[in-house]
Amino acid sequence: MARLIRTEKEVEGHYTEQWIVVDEDALDQWPAGPLQTVGKPAPRVDGRERARGEATYTADIQLPGMLHAAVLRSPHARARVRSLSLSSVLAAPGVRAVLEPGDSHVLTDEPGYHGAAVAAVAADTFAQARAALAQAAVEWEVLEPLLDPDQAVEKGSLVSEPNVSERGATERGVSEAEAVVEAEYRTQTVLHNSLETHQAVCVWESGRLDVYISTQFLWGVRATVAEQLELPPDKVRVVCNFMGGGFGSKNGPGEYTFIAAELARRTGRPVRCALTRREENLATGNRNSTIQRLTAGARSDGTLTVLKGDYVNSVGFEGWSPSTGGPMELLYACENVRVAEHGAKLNTPPNAAFRAPGFVEGTFGLECLMDELAARLDLDPLELRMRNYADSDLVDGRPFSSKNLLECYRRAQPHWARREEVRARSQGPWKHGMGLASQVWYGGGGPPSYAWVRVGSDGRVQVVTAMQDIGTGSRTAMAQIAAEELGLSLDRIEVSLGDTSRGPFASISAGSSTIPSMGPAVRSAAADAARQIVEIAAQRYHLEERVLSLRNGHIVSADGGSWPIEEITELLGEGQILGKGARGPNPTGMRTLTFGVQLAEVAVDIETGEVLVDRIVAIHDVGRVINPLGASSQVEGGIIQGIGHTLSEDRLLDPGTGTVLTQTLDAYKLPTIADVPEIVAEFVDRPDEHLTNLGSKGLGEPPIIPTSAAIANAIRDATGANVRSLPITREEMLRALRAAREREGLERTAETVGEVRSA
Amino acid sequence: MEVVSPRTLEEALRLRAAEPGLMPIEGGTDVMVDLNFDRRRPVGLLNLNEVPELRGWSRDDGLLRIGASLTYAQVRQRPLADTLPALAEAARTVGSPQIQNRGTLGGNLGTASPAGDSLPPLLIERADVELASVRGVRTLALERFLLGPKRNALAADELIAGIRVRPSGARQTFMKVGPRNAMVIAVVSLALAVDREREELRAAYGSAGPVPGLVTASTGERETFPELVAAAAEPIDDLRGTAAYRRHALRVLVGRALERCWA
Ligand SMILES: Cc1cc2nc3c(=O)[nH]c(=O)nc-3n(C[C@H](O)[C@H](O)[C@H](O)COP(=O)(O)OP(=O)(O)OC[C@H]3O[C@@H](n4cnc5c(N)ncnc54)[C@H](O)[C@@H]3O)c2cc1C
Repeated sequence: MARLIRTEKEVEGHYTEQWIVVDEDALDQWPAGPLQTVGKPAPRVDGRERARGEATYTADIQLPGMLHAAVLRSPHARARVRSLSLSSVLAAPGVRAVLEPGDSHVLTDEPGYHGAAVAAVAADTFAQARAALAQAAVEWEVLEPLLDPDQAVEKGSLVSEPNVSERGATERGVSEAEAVVEAEYRTQTVLHNSLETHQAVCVWESGRLDVYISTQFLWGVRATVAEQLELPPDKVRVVCNFMGGGFGSKNGPGEYTFIAAELARRTGRPVRCALTRREENLATGNRNSTIQRLTAGARSDGTLTVLKGDYVNSVGFEGWSPSTGGPMELLYACENVRVAEHGAKLNTPPNAAFRAPGFVEGTFGLECLMDELAARLDLDPLELRMRNYADSDLVDGRPFSSKNLLECYRRAQPHWARREEVRARSQGPWKHGMGLASQVWYGGGGPPSYAWVRVGSDGRVQVVTAMQDIGTGSRTAMAQIAAEELGLSLDRIEVSLGDTSRGPFASISAGSSTIPSMGPAVRSAAADAARQIVEIAAQRYHLEERVLSLRNGHIVSADGGSWPIEEITELLGEGQILGKGARGPNPTGMRTLTFGVQLAEVAVDIETGEVLVDRIVAIHDVGRVINPLGASSQVEGGIIQGIGHTLSEDRLLDPGTGTVLTQTLDAYKLPTIADVPEIVAEFVDRPDEHLTNLGSKGLGEPPIIPTSAAIANAIRDATGANVRSLPITREEMLRALRAAREREGLERTAETVGEVRSA
Repeated sequence: MEVVSPRTLEEALRLRAAEPGLMPIEGGTDVMVDLNFDRRRPVGLLNLNEVPELRGWSRDDGLLRIGASLTYAQVRQRPLADTLPALAEAARTVGSPQIQNRGTLGGNLGTASPAGDSLPPLLIERADVELASVRGVRTLALERFLLGPKRNALAADELIAGIRVRPSGARQTFMKVGPRNAMVIAVVSLALAVDREREELRAAYGSAGPVPGLVTASTGERETFPELVAAAAEPIDDLRGTAAYRRHALRVLVGRALERCWA
């Protein structure tokens, strides 16, 4: 039954209270632990198709008569177009249409960052479109860019009001502390660099717009495009069957969709607007750089008395200020916490959500700070964390719907116990060490989301929902859930997704929400179909419904009867059983979060500054695990991306002009397979008993969160050096080692002075 | 774009003299990047992949002749790898297996990048470059062939035919520092030989000056050699690293290479 409730909706750490109509979630959760299909490793149902190049990505869409767009982008960080002439562009071979500022809301004649879209062209081939753009006559008035984030904060150049929150009394917290550490941490700008660049193909047909797009949210694109173009949403169809990576940067339609749509409207032809790798590195968003000025204070037994964080997010020309202080507010049972976040508006490319935005950066600062505190107090870092364990959410006093971080810590112990052994591997200039860091993040998903399940007379099942699989294995997980509920093997389930005209509304695939939002809807649709199969079977076999259930492809009765499910479905002929399901509400008055801990083993060459990551153990608590194989893939991917963030990736700007220097994958160093350490993934795998009919939370983001801090803490363990700035290049490593030597020198002098005095 | 594929060296040299606008191409791992990035727009390509004289290697009375088309994958193979061990080590660090299968020594010489990984190992072996044209063949010491960043002494009508080198038999090694473990252009690289027979230390650095440079000293100068090499280098600050770091790393690498090759 549909119900009107007031609930919280959360995406990427943003909570909003809203009225929503939800369906009841009447199903009891399955028992904990691996079941028939759910909880067992399942290879991807679309793996073969994808490996053989048969899967159709947006980049593969070819429509008859399709034109190709190219975009003229600002070569300056801040400039004004004095004059622009596109007449030679229009006259160039193959060109069908051009757009200039004023023709579309996404084009500007006052670009505020390098890469902002200014004009566009559509031609028969992409090469023609690019060659034509080179003919554009632009006269620029180059203006002084604002690039320094501290200066921006000082001047009040912010994307939003500063976000300040305080609990307790931090002044008192500081005075009660027996040890206080203060440190400044910095994280760099990093890029998503999805394998499939941002792109869309648009085609108009009798007043209806079809958008083929590489996206994480079909329905969001539909809504935004419809609103912008003043169309009824049902006149916009959005399609994305296979997707080559997004990591948060493909949550909306982007400028390329509007460029393709407008060019398609003007030419009456399908138009593709696909960004090049250089454009991908310029203008598709980034994880913004941060400056974090942090303080932690504790009593000598390690009890935290205060945490303070002053954060500057270098958001860019547009965008939003992520919750960099979130981990500081959520992770520990500290009474006195003050967090202030400033989102600096600069003449740099805008940020975009990137796999746990804010929390990745903030966890680096916080968890390094905790280890520096542990070193000061001469406490074991794991012990310090357990001592400050938060049993409930101290931000607003709510209980957690479930939290098994202590269990994660407990499972970390045997790995942590290898510390001495790891350190003992040190030889010559190579120093070995081990570090850990905790993880907290959202990931509970929420309503609305719907699914349909169709059962045919052959006893095969199609799950139909207009969700997207962004490469995380959602198709497989949804098939597993349906298979489990219907007692069928995985190969009898087909998942149809990726098209708003072919299924009901489905959640965004961001904020680690796909499984927790979609999974329960699919299960409830499958349960609806299962109930109908049982109803028919009860009539056919003259039994009561309550004694029948579906198992192993059979209808089984409590008294031992067993019939292949086809015996019932055959009776359908051309008919179908249609099940429908919806995501129920989130538990009220509770905080749903994901948790985890990672342990890193590293080797540092103290002469050259080279850092090698040997091994990372990841233990995460995300409720029930649907597909352990898919889950460990997520952990591996997150950790590898985290290693890039920690050691080699760095989007560099020319400090004078603000132009982007690293526009290719030659200059921007993603980790290669040769940089990947041994990765061990473990899951607590306990259903969250308050959360939906599944008890599952999301895992897309958690694994990248603690990686950089775990590595930095391992480096401290190995060398005594505090690395406080990412990426930890060799030069940065050597700088930190020098600082550590100077500090040690000073302490030694101080000690000698002390000894002399006391003598 | 026109692609011309001569079947003999003679034909290649004639074409080279007649159409200097054609750009020679071997593996294409540098040429194709330049074309894609629109850095160069030659009228056509002179494809050297079908010229048998440029392939393989041979030994005549202690003198090795290596064809310009020899790939890194081939350099890694024995017995050549035993003869020129530092070159083989360098070949193993080049790009990725795909690049090692396509990229050639001739192409590395043609590009003459300060970061060219084959160049330091060839310098410590005092290799000569064999340059051919319709006018004849000349050889030039590698040191004199490398003129500046991506500049070499190739005349407009010449092709790089190969490399001539008399392997020293000295213990030698190659080391490379990069921001990650594969697919990297060196931040700094080093080849070093301890030549007992000639009582000579030879080191050549890459990515630490406008051209890879050779530094020599007598074996008696082991202690000061790291400093000598670091001082001889002329590194700059760029996206990949600072001059100060390059000099520092070079000093460390020379010390380690000496340790490895001294025994
Ligand atoms: C992904 C990637 C990674 C790389 N990694 C490395 C690396 O780690 N280390 C490294 O040193 N290099 C690296 N390179 C660069 C490149 O692979 C090497 O320089 C390689 O040796 C070039 O050989 P090639 O046969 O492909 O040359 P080509 O691209 O065919 O030619 C290179 C140049 O030499 C000229 N040329 C070629 N043959 C002749 C000839 N016989 N006579 C006259 N001129 C000639 C060409 O005109 C051109 O100017 C990398 C390149 C890529 C794309």
